[in-house]
Amino acid sequence: MQQAGGGSETEVTWEDQQNINKFGRLNNRYHELEDEIRIAKEANENFEDASNELILTDEEVVRFQIGEVFAHVPKDEVEMRIEKMTETTSKHLEKLKDEKDAVVAQMADLKKVLYAKFKDSINLEED
Amino acid sequence: MATSSSPPQSDTEVVAERRGIPAASFVKDVQAYLNQLGLDVNSTLAFQQERLQQYKMVEMKLLAQQRDLQAKIPDIEKCLDVVATLQAKKDTDEALLTDFEVSEGIYSRARIENADSVCLWLGANVMLEYSCEEATSLLQNNLENAKASLEVLVADLQFLRDQVTITQVTIARVYNWDVHQRRVRQASSSQDS
Repeated sequence: MQQAGGGSETEVTWEDQQNINKFGRLNNRYHELEDEIRIAKEANENFEDASNELILTDEEVVRFQIGEVFAHVPKDEVEMRIEKMTETTSKHLEKLKDEKDAVVAQMADLKKVLYAKFKDSINLEED
Repeated sequence: MATSSSPPQSDTEVVAERRGIPAASFVKDVQAYLNQLGLDVNSTLAFQQERLQQYKMVEMKLLAQQRDLQAKIPDIEKCLDVVATLQAKKDTDEALLTDFEVSEGIYSRARIENADSVCLWLGANVMLEYSCEEATSLLQNNLENAKASLEVLVADLQFLRDQVTITQVTIARVYNWDVHQRRVRQASSSQDS
């Protein structure tokens, strides 16, 4: 992800090292966030599909998965549960997106600082 | 590399080691570092590479632990959900009808009435019966412990990754320094001749 190459004599201070470390941490966090956002989006889609199915079905009692078993739950309660789960996941998704934006901004700042000091000796792009 | 736990380090700028993971020493000046080690460039590079491999191995172990914990937490949350549902049904005095898996692809129906107690699987082929309240508090406890362990693990991984980065940068700098020295030597020897 990042290496210093060249054969130049650019000095690396402890502050530079900490910046590089921080960039590494942010990059890792960025990838974790991407994965978590994808999972949360999939969950929301599943909830939407489920509630669409609910509207179409004419049964009064729906088998709703709780833990490892399917409990017989009245349709209204299932609707409520799905709504609650959708809301929780949406809020979680919003928080993840905000964190991702913050991480991207911090990474951009660090890139500026590190490229300014090391120019070609450092590579901070995705491989 | 020993992985016995040691007392947690405070967040000072330079941490000597963390829970058995030695910190990579930051190199201010390559020449001074080589003098301090008393090794030539190739041996130093080999030493750093070996350190890097050790770090990678510990990282793999920690990542596996992290995956286990991340799978365990939703499981505990599902159990809490079930116990909460049973308690709710008990309060309304309804029976709970559920379809459960008997074997792969085969399901059966169960009628659960007045669930006063639940049995919790504790592992090691042991299952204990608890009242709903006790079960909820035990599961809640397990959930909090798992989340706390996960936090510590994530911090360990971050520390480890930092040490990996420092080691990688040190390897690059020692290598570059060597290349630079060779160039200087070549330039001065071509001047002399």
